[in-house]
Amino acid sequence: MNTHPYKPNIATVQDTWFETYGDRCIKTFKVVFDDEEVRDNWTHLPGQCAMIGVLGTGESMISISCSPTEGKFLRFSVMRAGKVTKALHELEAGDKMTVRGPYGNNFPVDEWKGKNIITIGGGIGQAPLRPIIEYIRAKKAEYGDLTVVYGARTSADLCFKGEFSELAKVENTSCRLSIDVKEEDWPHYVGFVPALLMEINPSFENTIAITCGPPIMINFVLQNLKKLNFPDEQIYTTLENRMKCGIGKCGRCNAGNLYVCKDGPVFSYATLKNVPEAFA
Amino acid sequence: MPDLEKLRALAKETISRDDIKCLIGWRPGTYGYRTSPHFVRSPEDADQLIFSPLCSSNLATYLTLAEKRPVPRGAQPDTRKVAILVKGCDSRAVVQQVAEQGIKREAVYVIGCPCEGIIDLRKLEDKYPHTLERVEARWENGKISLDLPGGRAVFPREEIVAGKCLTCRYPNPVIADVTVGEDVEVRGSAGFEDINWLEVKNAQERWAFWRDKVNSCLRCYSCRNVCPMCYCEECILEKQNPAWIQRSVNISENTAFQLARAFHLAGRCIECGECERVCPVEIPLTHLNRKLVKEVSEQFAFTPGVDPEAKPLLVGYRPNDKEDFIL
Amino acid sequence: MKLNKDKLADFLAAIPGKTIFGPQLSGETLKFTPITKTGDLCLTANNTTVPPKSVVFPQTETMLRFEQGATDIRTAEPAGETVLFGIRPCDARAMYIVDNVFFWDVDDPYYLARRTNSTLVGMACLDPCVNCFCTSMGGGPASTEGLDLLLTDLGDSYLLEVLTGKGEMLCQGAGNLLDEASVADKEAAKLLQQKAAGQIRRKIDPSGIPARLPALWESPVWEKVSASCLGCGICTYLCPTCHCFDMQDETEGAESRRYRTWDSCMFPEYTLHASGHNPRPARRERTRNRINHKFSYFVDKFKVIACVGCGRCINLCPVNIDILDILSKVGEEAL
Repeated sequence: MNTHPYKPNIATVQDTWFETYGDRCIKTFKVVFDDEEVRDNWTHLPGQCAMIGVLGTGESMISISCSPTEGKFLRFSVMRAGKVTKALHELEAGDKMTVRGPYGNNFPVDEWKGKNIITIGGGIGQAPLRPIIEYIRAKKAEYGDLTVVYGARTSADLCFKGEFSELAKVENTSCRLSIDVKEEDWPHYVGFVPALLMEINPSFENTIAITCGPPIMINFVLQNLKKLNFPDEQIYTTLENRMKCGIGKCGRCNAGNLYVCKDGPVFSYATLKNVPEAFA
Repeated sequence: MPDLEKLRALAKETISRDDIKCLIGWRPGTYGYRTSPHFVRSPEDADQLIFSPLCSSNLATYLTLAEKRPVPRGAQPDTRKVAILVKGCDSRAVVQQVAEQGIKREAVYVIGCPCEGIIDLRKLEDKYPHTLERVEARWENGKISLDLPGGRAVFPREEIVAGKCLTCRYPNPVIADVTVGEDVEVRGSAGFEDINWLEVKNAQERWAFWRDKVNSCLRCYSCRNVCPMCYCEECILEKQNPAWIQRSVNISENTAFQLARAFHLAGRCIECGECERVCPVEIPLTHLNRKLVKEVSEQFAFTPGVDPEAKPLLVGYRPNDKEDFIL
Repeated sequence: MKLNKDKLADFLAAIPGKTIFGPQLSGETLKFTPITKTGDLCLTANNTTVPPKSVVFPQTETMLRFEQGATDIRTAEPAGETVLFGIRPCDARAMYIVDNVFFWDVDDPYYLARRTNSTLVGMACLDPCVNCFCTSMGGGPASTEGLDLLLTDLGDSYLLEVLTGKGEMLCQGAGNLLDEASVADKEAAKLLQQKAAGQIRRKIDPSGIPARLPALWESPVWEKVSASCLGCGICTYLCPTCHCFDMQDETEGAESRRYRTWDSCMFPEYTLHASGHNPRPARRERTRNRINHKFSYFVDKFKVIACVGCGRCINLCPVNIDILDILSKVGEEAL
């Protein structure tokens, strides 16, 4: 078994599909470790990340976008942006990628048992939220209501599009989608995610709010959650920063005194509000 | 040598003008011989200004190094001029930046400071190490005098100035809106005798000379960052896809880096010597740059940084350009 | 114990199977390189330009090797045993501080191998540099943190203080070369060390700094102290406690490797996201991070200031950005 912290494991891409198209398209990879022992020993929880990469090009820290309850595979949804993500986008079913991790902390799923959960996502920010949604869905009896709020610029920019109608059918679960500008045949909300949140007007009582998305959206969502009287301790978000090692050595991912790779990526607003660099 | 009182008075007058946002000059450093770039934003700031043989920094770098922060919504961008103190070599940087359209001539207010040579701090530190007390220096009748803790010391100029000052042919600013002090005598020769000793060596000997030096390069990029002509928005060094020059620090990538930089400066280097001054591992970069200056001068009869109207060498073509360098 | 200077070459020769690094000129620069001739050692010179961290944390280090297109990944072979001979106490103390990072929860295997395989033979600093301020940072010209052996130059001989088992091992093979040190020798060494500490003129009391820094986040002081910064890597690359690195892949022919290389928080690319967003967009933010990392974040995490007062960043900054000047401004700035 590989215990070397920098030596990645080889995994085979089983399936890929595009979530969105265009210059910064998002492609999802379903991958399985080649080594059976690695596959069997791998454990992760919602919120954690992994260093995935292509040998000869490099690695990139990507949030694991599946719940361990879904099976013995991993899913990553990757936006095409830099050198490594461009190389990852070249991969098709049958190709190899490297995976090491899991890294970082996770959403405190045990602490949250019995509570209502509302996730508020925007764009690619839904990727780290998807595992917690799937996790709660699989353990529905242990949690209260689940509300999924998710928006993007246009309907074509929404990730995991096919999953929401099924999700909405689950008991005590509701899905609210939004796009910024009106489109024909769009049956859902039109406007910005923070405004949709106000329309939903969730109660803060016994409820955890998790938000992830572009910085500007997070900013307004946080403001609105405060308007809805959510205590800081009941608001969670995930941070992302440039990373290289994933294990607190290379130095760069800190936001103030917090290392995103070790202290995060999951933080409560109670922690982050005192970290000036957190929303830089 | 300019009168400091006059310099400060001029600076105060300048910074008080409505069309000037900042004046860049020099002030005494935190210890010993050091001086530091000084950003004058109010008349009071001007009281710290100095100009002496210790003012090594080429401040023209700051004209292109300035970070453009986004203008807050509703606010107007600050389009006022930057005033800048320049020595002869520094002024050539301003001219070359203008000629290349890196900066606009009307965006700078140039205050010329004729210069008789800048002290090479390494030479001074060899003579008087461990000097913590602030030291003042001045030019005096072709010599340089220093008030050291142990008393006054006077050196012939040639003994203590930087190598680039010995070959300098532009001690008087070539561009200036106003000049402080009298023009000084041009002492440097038009030839390139200073690199002759290296040129006469064969390729193997030359590589032996450079190999150790390039090998010790740390790739801290201080040479690039201090260079007033290195102002590309995206440098080849940071290109990742493809990575023309790898980040690995070894003789091959270091050589690629140093050569790429030297070639990018061909016909552009204005010989301020800042790259060599700041190099922490003392790579004699002016040798490399002087060789290119020589080639440019001999092949194309071109001297960069003297005429702001001149077309930069490498963007021009003349039918009678020599072609014998083509193999 | 005492080692006569005549016997230095024999002493080094009596160390079997280890590569001995010492301060030597490489090009124009003093740095720690493998010793071939004892005569090339610069033991009286002050701090090397390049800190000896380069021995345990090389500027560029291969981590993994693999063939292009293959999936067999080989980890780089562990480094052999080394001796750092003539390391200054501040630099040894810096390694002791940096150990915190590389052994934080998960051991860094490359650093671990080099660090455990190295023996640090210190040379007390009897002639401190103009910008040395080790005594303000919890060290001193003869501090022993991180060292296995400490030598003090007594003129004709070195006084040898064995500090650890590793240090003792090193002396074992050279038993017949060492003399007994007299009480007078020890006292002479103590006096020289004290005299050196007294020669250190640059001082600051850093005790209040970690507490002040968070409150000064938006202070104009950062704009002031970074205005002339060129954004080069000198202050970080040559800092013995700076440990940040980048990881890259490189291919030559069919052979590829993943390597790490020193990186600097003063470079824009250090924190640049692939999206183009940069959480530290300018030199103001980057300078603030450098100071906060050393004097606040590191203290939060590891209860020690990540600065040993070696003075390199002051000596070598092209534009005289002086860390003591920054700290004194931080100390004086109204909260």
